[in-house]
Amino acid sequence: MASRLTQISVERPKSVIAVIMVLTFFFLIQFPKIVTDTDPKNMLPASSPVRDYNDQMESLFALHKDMMAVGIVNEKGIFNPATLERIARLTGEITKIKGVVVQDVMSLTTVDNVLSGDGQLIVRPVMDHVPGSQEEIEALQREVYDNPMLVGRLVSADRTVTAIYIPLEEGADAKQVADRIRGLVDNEKGEERYYVAGDPVARDTFGHTMFIQMAMFSPMAGLIMMIMLYLMFRNVTLIMAMMAVAFLSILWSMGALIGAGYPVHIMSSMIPVFLMAIATDSVHIFNEFYFRLKETGNKRQAILETMTVVGPPVRYTALATAVGFGVLVIMHIIPVKVFGLFVAFGTVVIRLMSFSLIPAVMMLTSDRSLLAAAGREDEEAGKGSSWLRRLGEIGFHRYRAVAGAGLILFIAAIAGVSQIHVNNNMVSWFKKGSDIRQADTILNERLAGTATAYIVAESGEPDAMKRYENLKAIGELQRELEGLPVVGKTTSIVDIVKRVNKVLHGNRPEYDTLPTSTEETAQYLFLFGMSAKPRDLDNVVTADYDKANIFLQLKTWDAVAMRGVVKKIEEFKRLHPGLSLEFRPAGISYFNMVWNDKVLFDMIKGFIIALIVVFIILVFNFRSFKWGIVSYIPLLFTILLIYGFVGFIGKDFDMPISVLSALSLGMAVDFSIHFIRRFQQRYAEEQDVERAILWTAARPGKGIIRNAILFASAFSVMIFAPLTPYLTVGLFIAGMMTISALLTILFLPAMIRMLGRWLISS
Amino acid sequence: MHRHLTVIALLLMSFLSPAALHAEEPAEIIKRSQEAFFYPGKDMQARVKMALIAKTGQERLRELTMLRMNGSGGDQKYFMYFHNPGDVRGMSFMVYKYPNKDDDRWLFIPSINLVNRIAARDSRSSFVGSDFTYEDVSGRDIEADTYKYIKEDALEGKPCHVIESTPKNPTEYIRKISWIDKTTYLPLKDEYYDVQGSLYKVFTAEKVEMIGGLPTATKRTMANVKSGHKTEVVFEGIAYNVGLSDDLFTERYLRKPPEKWIK
Repeated sequence: MASRLTQISVERPKSVIAVIMVLTFFFLIQFPKIVTDTDPKNMLPASSPVRDYNDQMESLFALHKDMMAVGIVNEKGIFNPATLERIARLTGEITKIKGVVVQDVMSLTTVDNVLSGDGQLIVRPVMDHVPGSQEEIEALQREVYDNPMLVGRLVSADRTVTAIYIPLEEGADAKQVADRIRGLVDNEKGEERYYVAGDPVARDTFGHTMFIQMAMFSPMAGLIMMIMLYLMFRNVTLIMAMMAVAFLSILWSMGALIGAGYPVHIMSSMIPVFLMAIATDSVHIFNEFYFRLKETGNKRQAILETMTVVGPPVRYTALATAVGFGVLVIMHIIPVKVFGLFVAFGTVVIRLMSFSLIPAVMMLTSDRSLLAAAGREDEEAGKGSSWLRRLGEIGFHRYRAVAGAGLILFIAAIAGVSQIHVNNNMVSWFKKGSDIRQADTILNERLAGTATAYIVAESGEPDAMKRYENLKAIGELQRELEGLPVVGKTTSIVDIVKRVNKVLHGNRPEYDTLPTSTEETAQYLFLFGMSAKPRDLDNVVTADYDKANIFLQLKTWDAVAMRGVVKKIEEFKRLHPGLSLEFRPAGISYFNMVWNDKVLFDMIKGFIIALIVVFIILVFNFRSFKWGIVSYIPLLFTILLIYGFVGFIGKDFDMPISVLSALSLGMAVDFSIHFIRRFQQRYAEEQDVERAILWTAARPGKGIIRNAILFASAFSVMIFAPLTPYLTVGLFIAGMMTISALLTILFLPAMIRMLGRWLISS
Repeated sequence: MHRHLTVIALLLMSFLSPAALHAEEPAEIIKRSQEAFFYPGKDMQARVKMALIAKTGQERLRELTMLRMNGSGGDQKYFMYFHNPGDVRGMSFMVYKYPNKDDDRWLFIPSINLVNRIAARDSRSSFVGSDFTYEDVSGRDIEADTYKYIKEDALEGKPCHVIESTPKNPTEYIRKISWIDKTTYLPLKDEYYDVQGSLYKVFTAEKVEMIGGLPTATKRTMANVKSGHKTEVVFEGIAYNVGLSDDLFTERYLRKPPEKWIK
């Protein structure tokens, strides 16, 4: 089939190119339909239990889905007229921004404080007017720091930070709101510094940046690839053909994705980068073509011969790659499925193009310029080739030392892998110096934390949350959770009851307790409900008083932090077996933890299935179980080394890294397929193991190294990416390809030498 | 008698040009509306059922007896005794309302046998945790807004004055549009617009009945259209001019509610 396709492409190159153009046009017209979805929540379908429970609790407790925070920092302290004036003004201006829920903006000027003074119960905004005199400022500070519910949330304990919490209406773009706020802040001329933080800002900024990234870095990687290709092959037309294969596969698969009605998600935004990487496989064709052209001097013959020898390995590497990604389709997470499906599709496109577009373009390229370029290729004398040949010699002759070194590396890699730390943190997807990282760091340092979660206490009976034993248990759980270093603060109905009790009793500290009488509690809560806004009570307890909500502030978005909280709750339940309450986690931090785990374990599961399937393909490819195992070893070893390294440097094994596992499999398998296939072909021709191996190391080996260099250089541009997942992916692809190429050329000769008789007798 | 006069006046006016129809100053209409809505009778007794309804449909219910007595110069005294929820029965709330200065408020908490003075705050703050504000329950200072006559309109067949009020000092709303019944002068609907210029709260007088010769909104709703939260208030057993006396509105009765009036 492939050779038929190649035949046709050689006979009628122009028609083939025309057909490809028409098809491309069809995929291209899908692009205006593009829909993007940057909300990580959509990693799980709306019907998933955790999402469903989360939605239920959010509406039951009238909680806002999206809440951002603005931190106002004055190192000399915020309690001075100028800073307080700015806080008031900024709060007022923020409420005017479209998309902000006007009535629920929380700031010193809008949040109610419950206090006692002159024998009266006073409920009013913490700062109902900007204080002018020093006495008033002193009084304000006393009031604020007397109410533990405010400290750590609205103001920092060290008096240098205050926060404005901004709930967003559904569908509002947090980045736009954040940009508007940054604009407002730029007009302020004081000594304060301002930080915009919160999950929706990170999410929407990531979304925006992601598309800039797609639009800028994919072409940049492409450009560098082009330059490298030119240095390797010195022929512009051929390079354009190769780049065209990469870009066409990107256009086709993204066009198909958009056309099929899928939104472009965080994961699918990586498809272009992946396809660009996979497309470099056609280097092997050019590599061999140049050697053949120089040998025969006949372009047509060189093309057909090249496709005959390179065709089978290219077909199998493409198959292995497509399968590596294709298995993701049977996973549970929809964006993971979509990603797998369309990378697999793109891989198939690349393969088809390799057998049609590339030969067609080769036919249309002038013979003279090709011959001139090919004249430089010589596996005996070429600089690169002789170096590769030496590498092969080391593997072949000093196989014991190579195997020993391999063993040591293997043990080290296993040790590294055992150190792997599974975690995910969306804020750390931004670089250290970025606005979002800085805001997150400073607010988490000084306030009780910007990451939030809920613990819902459920009793199953009305009025349970007015009973002393239940409130006592909630309070105890709060103390336990606050004992965790990652938990900055917890707030619940218990804090409200204690506060009202104290304030009603002339602020006497001995009343900072829970009353034992249910009636007393009920009346305190009623009093609070009478004095506050409807939402204040709704946020912490249901109308039936059957469920209560503990509001958690975490100092980090780490999935690990929330896992610690969940563990603590389980432990608490175990230690209090008689409790009639059930505690269930919810909220954004919990949700992030759940989807991270799901994506991660889905990717790992997919990876393991792909490992098995790829092995089967290898065995099938070589028609030999033994060769299957030998070709599998460099692949496994590369992956082990990569993840061993991840473990050693202490980089979290997060979502982007787990995505990489699929790629590593699909890519690393290529080199050993090429190497062994070509070795087998050569050995069949001359029946001398050593000569065949050294020839393979020098000639197809050059293709392998070219492929690796191309990769490494193209993806090194990702080092400049503002988002760390892209940086990670770029660095690791570069590292992986280099390691995989070297391991193939060094270890395969050693293994073939060691296992020679066993292997070749088959 | 008063009603007949109004009807005759309306009939007469309908023969005049449309411009003359709202010859009445908008501020004057608002003033009459406040009198009809907040001050009918010399005093009033009613059983009030209040439902605070969240977007999800869950309800917090309150039931109370409300006693109101008009004083001089727009002063009013309110006494509220809570019957339900059961565990707050006996809590009583008393308000002395003055048109141009802060209210005086007291609350009795039976479980600790304590009368506490409650500091008055912004009259735009929530009335007993509902979507209504104190102002919505007892009236807004007429001098606080400027008024504009928008148009004539009909709500469910009732001809209305439509008036726009704009607060002179910044408050949580920037604009209020009121539909005021031309016959009874009761506000039938108010629309509140927030600082972003969008509609966020709607008041509706859902049921108007004649009680003791006085038109009375016996069912009222305040809905926050942005949050989906709303409050429904139903007045039952309303009686006007029952003869409440000043000594009822004292701390003594807060602790020991007057059984005669609290049924």
